[in-house]
Amino acid sequence: MSVIRNAELVPAPARRSFATLFSNVSRWRVPLSILALCILPWVLPSQALAVNVLIYGLVAVGYNLLFGYTGLLSFGHAAFFGAGAYATGIAIGAFGVHWFIAMLIGVLISGLLATVMGVLAIRTRGIYFSMVTLALAQLVYYAALQASSWTGGENGLRGFTVSTLHLPGFSVNFLDPLVKYYAIMIVVAAALWFVSRVLNSPFGAVIEAIRENETRARACGYDVERTKLLSFILSGILCGLAGTLSAMHLSIVPLDSLHYHTSGLIVMMTLLGGAGSFFGPFIGALAFLSMEDIFSLWTSNWQLIVGVIFILFVLYLPKGIWGTLITWGKSR
Amino acid sequence: MTNGIEKLALRPIGRRAALFGLAGVAGTLSMPWIARAQAETIRIGFPTPLTGPFAAEANDQVRSAQLAVKLANDKGGIAGRKVELLVRDDKLNAGEAATRTLELIEKDKVHAVVGALSSAVQLAVNEVTRARSMLYISISQSDTINEIKDFSPYTFHEALNPTMTTAVVAKHSFKKGSKVAYLVADYAYGHEMLRGFKRAAKEIGAQTVSEILHPFGAADYSTFIPTILSSGADILCICNFGRDQANSIKQAVDFGVKDQMKIVVPVLLHNQRLAVDPEVFEGVTGGANYYWGLEETVPSAKAFNDAFRAMYKGTIPTDYGAYGYTGVASLLMAIEKAGGTEPQKVIAALEALKYDIAKGEQSYRKCDHQSMQSVLVLESKAKSAMKSDADLFKIVAAEPASESVLRTCSELGFKS
Repeated sequence: MSVIRNAELVPAPARRSFATLFSNVSRWRVPLSILALCILPWVLPSQALAVNVLIYGLVAVGYNLLFGYTGLLSFGHAAFFGAGAYATGIAIGAFGVHWFIAMLIGVLISGLLATVMGVLAIRTRGIYFSMVTLALAQLVYYAALQASSWTGGENGLRGFTVSTLHLPGFSVNFLDPLVKYYAIMIVVAAALWFVSRVLNSPFGAVIEAIRENETRARACGYDVERTKLLSFILSGILCGLAGTLSAMHLSIVPLDSLHYHTSGLIVMMTLLGGAGSFFGPFIGALAFLSMEDIFSLWTSNWQLIVGVIFILFVLYLPKGIWGTLITWGKSR
Repeated sequence: MTNGIEKLALRPIGRRAALFGLAGVAGTLSMPWIARAQAETIRIGFPTPLTGPFAAEANDQVRSAQLAVKLANDKGGIAGRKVELLVRDDKLNAGEAATRTLELIEKDKVHAVVGALSSAVQLAVNEVTRARSMLYISISQSDTINEIKDFSPYTFHEALNPTMTTAVVAKHSFKKGSKVAYLVADYAYGHEMLRGFKRAAKEIGAQTVSEILHPFGAADYSTFIPTILSSGADILCICNFGRDQANSIKQAVDFGVKDQMKIVVPVLLHNQRLAVDPEVFEGVTGGANYYWGLEETVPSAKAFNDAFRAMYKGTIPTDYGAYGYTGVASLLMAIEKAGGTEPQKVIAALEALKYDIAKGEQSYRKCDHQSMQSVLVLESKAKSAMKSDADLFKIVAAEPASESVLRTCSELGFKS
């Protein structure tokens, strides 16, 4: 972002066209992202995959707020994703709550959980922060495993299928894959706009300042702890929202959604796409899930191919797919 | 040249030409549909964990299922239609399985789903198929899927369930006054098997002296074994699956458990026995849905084995592999009887079906759609008693299909 603004100040003729293009892309990033999402189900092999890209894309974007922009490497974001999913599922299945209220409950619960985990984890830094978030997320995992009368334990949560979305005035068939995709896309688009708004606000500038130089941000008079906590909570809420969408999409909540593998997956997607860029994590989710989907159809050794590609990315494109594209565009 | 194009473009389209044109377009568009209605391939989705700790069993299931499809196609298809099997890797992950099943239904437009190899995964597939009125034959052990909360009129459970497996195994290995120690994998499969064994033990009059949970996928069992040895048990019942079974039995034998007590498992796995030396498993008793040695007494088992040997260069089908065959073959029989893939008709046909395709008489119980079938009790042979490399087990008993080993319909929550 800041570099793009600098480019605008230096009107070297050769740079101008690319710089203008990039500043335009950046200014219109939310409408452009939504446009890209609109055509997604038509270019991907299946709608179920497209919905997964939406959901994991949102998780990665939410996670990126903390990792890419604030510079905090959390290994426990599966807890928020899973908590959102479980809360929504339980609200619908056990209490018969309307789906919209259930989604709000899911977001609220994950927000609360993020507050608690955030307060405990923010005190530490570096690798200790990662370890504390991982440990706290494991606590949530085992709590869900033990409370099997509520969560279904090992078998996962079932029995809350939403087949029709009742809205004031009309209702839509949520089992239709395209309807489902666009319904979920509306929520994801709203969340993307929200993230973009947050990043463009003074708050967005402060979290980047903390990432770049925490001491200097503190010296400038910013309350670093509170800003970090707020960023942690926002990130948790976005992951929780993705969790509630995942529950609505799959109509089950697998126990694996709380597992640290899921946390690792989120980190990998973010890195693959490009941490610290607005749309990068979404590209990461898209690339990762498509690779998995397509290669696993060809061969049962698909993990080998995905692994090699991942190694190549880490070696040659450490900024991720989108991050590399942006750097390349700017250097022109 | 341009003049000509302009002329052509400007020429008014007559009413008759327009009608002919429309009819032509409509005809072309509808033609594939007519052709499709006549002989649309019957597509069967098959999600199974090709990667992960149950990969060996999953690959056997796929091979058996492909055999069932090949046999159907060789005799000219089912109701004049070809059959196709669409195998997908569910990675032993419930969320992944739900996504794959959605893809199979929405994109590949399958007519039925068969598969899944874990309690959690099959319940996820069950949930997706239930909401979309899709036929599903589940082929992995689970008690939960029989219960009314997860019941789907479209789902049939072809595999054994823990209750019936443990009831039969306990009947042939526990005695009144037996002291039993349990070593249980700490997840749904282990818990359900433990519950079944304790239920059976109570009826027989055996007592529990020790109950130890181990984590799923554990490599080291040495910490549990001293407790088992000091419990004074005369039977050690090990309730785990896949690689865990071979690992835990091997270590128990190394510590001399077999000198003091008999080892009993709910399901004696062909592939796990092959993974270690015969001395390790010698004398271990357990249940099974299928064993190839059944061919000496059951004609359908002989036919199944022969067809399998012919297709796969003389190899033999395994226990969990056989589920792939019986699941797909029974479904195809029902589709043939129903004259098509219309779900309600196939359900009626499956409920009425009496089939003997690999292991003797089988039929689906009406209330919970559980397959009533024979349960085998096997004992692992000593190396000296083995006639060939594949001659692994002695069939101690073949308990015929019976409702008495199942929980009653009212116990499961159904109105009788």
